[in-house]
Parts: sequence; structure tokens; C-alpha cells
Amino acid sequence: MTPKPTLLKVLDYLSVIVLIIAAYLALVYAPTEQIMGDVQRVFYFHIGTAWVGLLGFVLSAILGIAYLVTKDMKWDIIEVAAIEISVVFFFITIVLGSVWARPAWNTWWTWDPRLTTAAITELVYVAYFMLRAGVEDPERRARFGAVYALFGGLSAPITFMAIRLFRSIHPVVIGAANQNQEKMNMSGDMRVAFFFALFAFTVIFIDLFWNRIRLGQLESKVEQLKLKVM
Amino acid sequence: MTNFLQATFAVFRKDITAELRSREIIFAMMVFSMLVIVIFNFALELDPATRKEVTSGVLWATFAFAGTLGLNRSMAVEKDRGCLDGLLLAPVDRSAIYFGKVLSNLAFMFIVEAFVLPLYSALYNVNLFNPGLLLVILLGSIGYTAVGTLLASMAVQARTRDVLLPILLFPIAIPVLLSAVKASTGFLNGVEMAEIWPSLNLLIVYDVIFTAVAFMVFDAVVEE
Amino acid sequence: MEPTPDTSAYMIAGYAVFFIVSAIYVASLFIRNRSLQRDLETLEDLDAKK
Repeated sequence: MTPKPTLLKVLDYLSVIVLIIAAYLALVYAPTEQIMGDVQRVFYFHIGTAWVGLLGFVLSAILGIAYLVTKDMKWDIIEVAAIEISVVFFFITIVLGSVWARPAWNTWWTWDPRLTTAAITELVYVAYFMLRAGVEDPERRARFGAVYALFGGLSAPITFMAIRLFRSIHPVVIGAANQNQEKMNMSGDMRVAFFFALFAFTVIFIDLFWNRIRLGQLESKVEQLKLKVM
Repeated sequence: MTNFLQATFAVFRKDITAELRSREIIFAMMVFSMLVIVIFNFALELDPATRKEVTSGVLWATFAFAGTLGLNRSMAVEKDRGCLDGLLLAPVDRSAIYFGKVLSNLAFMFIVEAFVLPLYSALYNVNLFNPGLLLVILLGSIGYTAVGTLLASMAVQARTRDVLLPILLFPIAIPVLLSAVKASTGFLNGVEMAEIWPSLNLLIVYDVIFTAVAFMVFDAVVEE
Repeated sequence: MEPTPDTSAYMIAGYAVFFIVSAIYVASLFIRNRSLQRDLETLEDLDAKK
């Protein structure tokens, strides 16, 4: 394998630095929210991870199309990298949301459209990895993965609309909770922490993405060599 | 175009003929759906008051479970007997094979639904013969089998195929199931059409999008 | 006005989850990378011997 490019090394260090700054801004710099207290501080990382999670899922659907059109393995490697990182970040998003919901809404979980869609989306991509694990031929695995990534990307917005329709019959708890969330007023210092978290997670995402793509390339190289030797 | 339709119907006819001879898919789906209804009866304590609210949920859960059984079986048969390879060698457009399989899977779904509806009506003394409900069942089944047939043809080519189909299909099919349940409940409880339309529209949108995409990618799924 | 509730325990739990999960993921990247490098070396040796 080619040695790590200098730019990637720089990016590795930069990711750690921005993560520390983002954590400082979220935990110390931003003022404590009056109504919810300290738990509101998870919100910065919640939005940050959600943003990069969604970014990866949208990217993967596009990469799936790119693979199906070109049949070039490099798109498959990038697609897996995007989905794997997004699954990890989205899992964190859901857990952070749940931790926040417990004191704010007095429950770990409500079946509100956003939460439910997030959970289903996460399940779609867990299914994606189960599908890949069941297929040995790399080329077929890539085709199946691309098709499923495309399906997942298409179904997520429709799922959100379907759940919103469904939930409109019981607007009581959820409606109130949602308004509460929308109404969250951010002071200037909070906004700094918020936007810095978005920036930090974008940098971290790019760094992990690049590292994971290199890992994927190594993986396919080993796989090919195995076929050649054995 | 006529060639395409002929090929589609040839695949459809082949499946129906084979099924009429072996009866292994539809019979299994019927028995299974009966069992699901029995289990729901005890799991939910379907007394008259709650029944009104959950009828369409029970129906769609039954259709979905019985549907995966049928989809999996109908594709597994092709794979095991080497029919799929034979079909793929035929000098026809491959998407004709996809539509043929969708049609036969849809036919199996309809037969099971035609069996479940009177059975459920009789067991719980409710009238399910509502034209609106039939329309929802038509639209919902189309979306479910369009996606299910494609995912089943991937699942049967995987090592873990028996467990894979429901895991792949359910999260993708959730919009169909949710809007179908919503629309069915609306029709059964005589809700105004204005409230049902959004769900129906969503079903139609889903059907169109996923049939079109499945049609485009089927080639990539069966390619050798 | 109501006093701000003390919800710092939830905050700590949330950030703990974040750092633990991220650390596990980064560690898994490292471990996978190392074992693949090792596989690659072995395979290249085998390939050279042929």
C-alpha cells in the first residue's frame, strides 16, 4: 500500500483539533440553556453527527448510480466507506437524541416522524451490510450493494412523508414536543458552538471517509491477491 | 413492444402453470396467513371496540408476512432448479422477465388476499367488501411486489437467503405498509375522501417510482 | 421563572456515548488496517515464492 499522503496526515491531526475545539465550545463556551439545562449541550453534537450521517447516505445513493452506470469498482469502495461512516454517526445521532429526549420530553423515545425515519434509515443500512456479507463474489456484491443503496436513498424521504401522514391523527404529545424543539432559541454564543460543530463534523467526516476509502482499496487488493495465490 | 409483452406473459404463464401443478406457494401462503390471523387474535385480544382500529393493521401485517413467504419461494424455485439461468439465456429483454415475475407474484398475493378478506370478515363479523379498500389493496400489493420481486432476486443469490428477504424488504416497504394501513382504516371507518387522498397519492407515487427504478436496475441484479 | 433543572448527568452520558462509539470505530479502522497489511505481506511472500 502506498504510504499515507501528507495531506491526509494533516487532516488526521486537524480532525482531532477541531473535535477538541467543538467539544470545548459545546461543553464550556456555550451558555447553559435555561429551560432544559446542561443536557441541551448534546444538541450540538447531535446535529453535527446527523448532518454528516445524512450526507453519507445521500452520497451513497449517488455513488450507487455511478457504480451501476460505469461498473467501476472504485465507486463501490467509496460507497461502502460512505455508508459505514454514516451508520456509525447516525447511530450516535439517535442515541444522543434519545438521551436528550429523556429529560426534555420525559421519554427515551417517541414515534415521531423524525425519530422513526431515523431509526428505519439506520435499519436499511444495517440490512445493506447484511446483504453484502451474504455475497462472496466481489463484483456481484458491488452490484447488489449499489442497487440497495439506491433503494434506501429513495425510500427514506417517502418513509418520512408516510409517517408524517400517519402521525397526524395523534398530534398531542408529538406536536407539542416538536414545537418545543423548533422554538429552541439560540443565543449568539450557542450559534457559534452550533456552526462550529457542523464544520468540525464535516472535517472529521472527510478525514474518516478518506481513511476508510484507503482501507477499502487495501481490502480489495488483498482479496485479488488471495484469488491469485490460492 | 409486442415481443416484450409476449415474453412477460410467457414468464407469467409459466409460473402459474407450475404453481397449478405443485400448489406449493399459494397453499403455504394461505395456511401461514391463517396462522398469523389466529396469533393476532390472541396477541391483541380483538374485542369489538379495539377491532375497528386495528383491522387494517392486522390485514396488512398478514399480507406482508405471507407476501415475503411467497416472494422468497417463487424466486428460490427459479434459482434452485436452474430456471433463472435458462430464463436469462432466452433472447428477450431481461426486464420482461422481471415484469413476468412481478405479475405472477402479484397474482399469488391477490389470491391470498381474496382468501384472507372473506375469512377475516367471517371470523370477526365485519364487512370488508369496500371498493375503496380493494383499491388500496391493489395499489399496496403492486408496490410491495414490485420492490419485493427485485429484492427477492437479490436475496436468493446470497448465502444467507432465507433470513435476508424480510430484512431487506421491510425497511424499504414501510412507506407502502404505513400509507396502505392509513388509507384502509380511512375507508373502513368511512372517513372523508379528503383525508384519504394523501395516503393514496403516496401509494401511487411509491408504486411509480419503485416500479420504474426496479425496472431499470433489474439487469444489474441478474447479470452473470 | 422556574429554576434551570440539573440535567448534567444526561449530558455526561450523551458525550460518553459519543466518545466511546467514535473511539471504537477509529480503533476498528486501525485494527482492520493492520490485519490487512499483515495479510498483504503474507500473500506477497507466497506470490513471490511461486
